[in-house]
Amino acid sequence: MKRSTLRTVILLAVASAFALAVQTRGVHAQESTAGSTKIVVDGSTTVGPIAKAFAEHYMGLHPEVNITVSESGSGNGAKSLINGVCDVADMSRFMKEREFKAAVEKGVMPVAHVVAMDGLPIIVHPSNPVKALTVQQVRDIYTGKITNWREVGGPNVRIVKISRDTNSGTYETFAKLIMKKEKIAPDTEHVGSNGAVRQRVQSTPAAIGYAGLGFVDRTVKALGINGVYPDRESVRSGRYPIARPLFMFTDGYPALGTRLHAFVTLHLSPKGQEIIEDIGFVPVTDY
Amino acid sequence: MRLSTRKLLDRSFSGLGVFAILLMVGALLVLLAPIAARGSRAFVFRATVEHRQFMLEESGRGDHDAIDAEIRAAAEVRRKAYDMIARFEEELEAAGRSERRELRRSLREVKDHLAGLLGPAPGNARPVLLRDQYGQTRWDRALVGLGDFLYVTEYDYSDPSGMGRPLLVPRVDGFRGTSLEPLFAYVEQNLERMLRPRLTFYWRFLFDEGRDAHFFGGIWPAVLGTLYLTIGTMLIAAPVGIASAVYLAEFAGEGWLISLIRTCIGTLAGVPSIVFGLFGLAFFINTLGVSDSKSVLAGCLTLAVLVLPTVIRASEEAILAVPKTYKEASLSLGAGQGSTVLRVILPAALPGILTSVIISMGRAAGETAPIIFTAAVSLGRPLSLRQTLSQPTPALPWNIYNLCTEHEAVDQIRHVQYGMVLTLVLLVLLLNLAAILLRARLARRLAG
Repeated sequence: MKRSTLRTVILLAVASAFALAVQTRGVHAQESTAGSTKIVVDGSTTVGPIAKAFAEHYMGLHPEVNITVSESGSGNGAKSLINGVCDVADMSRFMKEREFKAAVEKGVMPVAHVVAMDGLPIIVHPSNPVKALTVQQVRDIYTGKITNWREVGGPNVRIVKISRDTNSGTYETFAKLIMKKEKIAPDTEHVGSNGAVRQRVQSTPAAIGYAGLGFVDRTVKALGINGVYPDRESVRSGRYPIARPLFMFTDGYPALGTRLHAFVTLHLSPKGQEIIEDIGFVPVTDY
Repeated sequence: MRLSTRKLLDRSFSGLGVFAILLMVGALLVLLAPIAARGSRAFVFRATVEHRQFMLEESGRGDHDAIDAEIRAAAEVRRKAYDMIARFEEELEAAGRSERRELRRSLREVKDHLAGLLGPAPGNARPVLLRDQYGQTRWDRALVGLGDFLYVTEYDYSDPSGMGRPLLVPRVDGFRGTSLEPLFAYVEQNLERMLRPRLTFYWRFLFDEGRDAHFFGGIWPAVLGTLYLTIGTMLIAAPVGIASAVYLAEFAGEGWLISLIRTCIGTLAGVPSIVFGLFGLAFFINTLGVSDSKSVLAGCLTLAVLVLPTVIRASEEAILAVPKTYKEASLSLGAGQGSTVLRVILPAALPGILTSVIISMGRAAGETAPIIFTAAVSLGRPLSLRQTLSQPTPALPWNIYNLCTEHEAVDQIRHVQYGMVLTLVLLVLLLNLAAILLRARLARRLAG
């Protein structure tokens, strides 16, 4: 008698699990025709503030949608898109050849949407008297050729080098535009996000670091590079030497009329441009 | 050994024990007091009229007429400041070209700082970001903003052998002799009347969604996500863990395979949690495809694997601790092995098993690494029960980390971060308390 009740309980549990599974599958089928109410965004910590502001703006207009944003770095964003576990990959660099190959092999066709332009300010503590460096000097600092602020016109203090982790698109941009294939010295500190770079620099008088334009505030000082200071104008015109586009990648171009399409084209609308500008980045559609 | 030596040793041993306990209480105080003190500021703070206006406009809370009257009264005081700026702008038109450019840049900064304090100036277009639509909602932040409004931090680089020394230069120095000069004293003296701070208990911090990257609102999605993750994990780990423990303790017997399994479980308990996180991503999401993105379900499964060894080990110990005579008595009365386990051994072992579940629950609530890749996001809506099967969620441990390392303006929203920490600590405490009470009741019933 007791044994049979146990069996009934187990059977019921299995049956309800099946029912739940079938039910969710049904929901998926329904959603895909009307455009999913779920958009998963993953990737760059630089693009993160834009993605978050876009998501909140869009959800404010469409309360039935849930857009989730995570900031795990450009490399992870690309991986997520390739594995099909996110709808939008935020990236602060372009996809690499092998990422493209891996994507295509899995049947994912990455399409790039350039949502904003970003400069890469080289930042120091505001108490640092150094005002400007050349690209060559920044490279020499990071390769370890220059180790003291005295060598670039500052006080006799050892330079503390802060860099991003290698998963970061910001790191890739820096490596490409500044380091030009030279190796970053091993005594460099690597941190995991733009915010962490800024916090490290604002608390360390001898530090030097780099972060996205939207992360630079009054607590750190952006250096002039080759005589040009990073701001909207110099980034837009290309005079500031370390500038890059910020991307959102999708699998194929999203079908017109879907929520995903609306989300990744938000930066083309006046509101989207205003958001990008207010956060501190440079809109691409500035006529 | 002489008796007196033995007594002395005995006493010094208990003294050591008392000292250890005191040390622990002290450490707990040092740890918890700042958490409580700072975290409570997210709930209890001096809210300005901007806070009340935000609440009214965004969620319809508060007495409409009273807040309107307050806004009008505040606007009356503010208008004088805006009038001063307008008059100065007119004066600027008359100034020389080079002088004008310099002053205009300084004026731009003044206006930006004032907008940060009081919100957009009347007549300006409504900004698109919420954080620019309202002034400071908290009086403590407003005072920081006032400092930035009144003083410019400049650096004195005159000493070439060291870094520059910070100097606070009154902003008013740039406007001496102009019509803007009185503005600074006016704002300083009347800020309280412009913002009308009032001590507010914002208990809805727990139940509100965060707005505009946590500049406004609360932390409900993260709280709910943590609850889902914790409860879901236990729903999976407890039955599986207890069943395994029963099997290992009652049915498995001895054998090289069983001892291998025991060793594996022991080893699993020592694996770092980030490894479980990566395993969860690779196995549950990429291989099994339990959901087509990160999801609460995938997070629960991963956390369940993480806490399983603890549940199995502790439950097994609890079952083994049940006196053999219970089992023998049951079997001798003709009960089968199955019903002996279900009706005699498990109830007797229940308090011990619950202890293991309690410990694991606290662990599941606080773990960050396993959910980074499987469940947690920095922004998302509170989920319905069904959505947990397919959608990721914010969760307290991850969002605390995310706020303090990745947020673009973390210095302005520290109170949210501290509030989250306090909530997480309280949540774990409450979960444990509930489970302890339950356990005590069960133990009493079994004894009686």
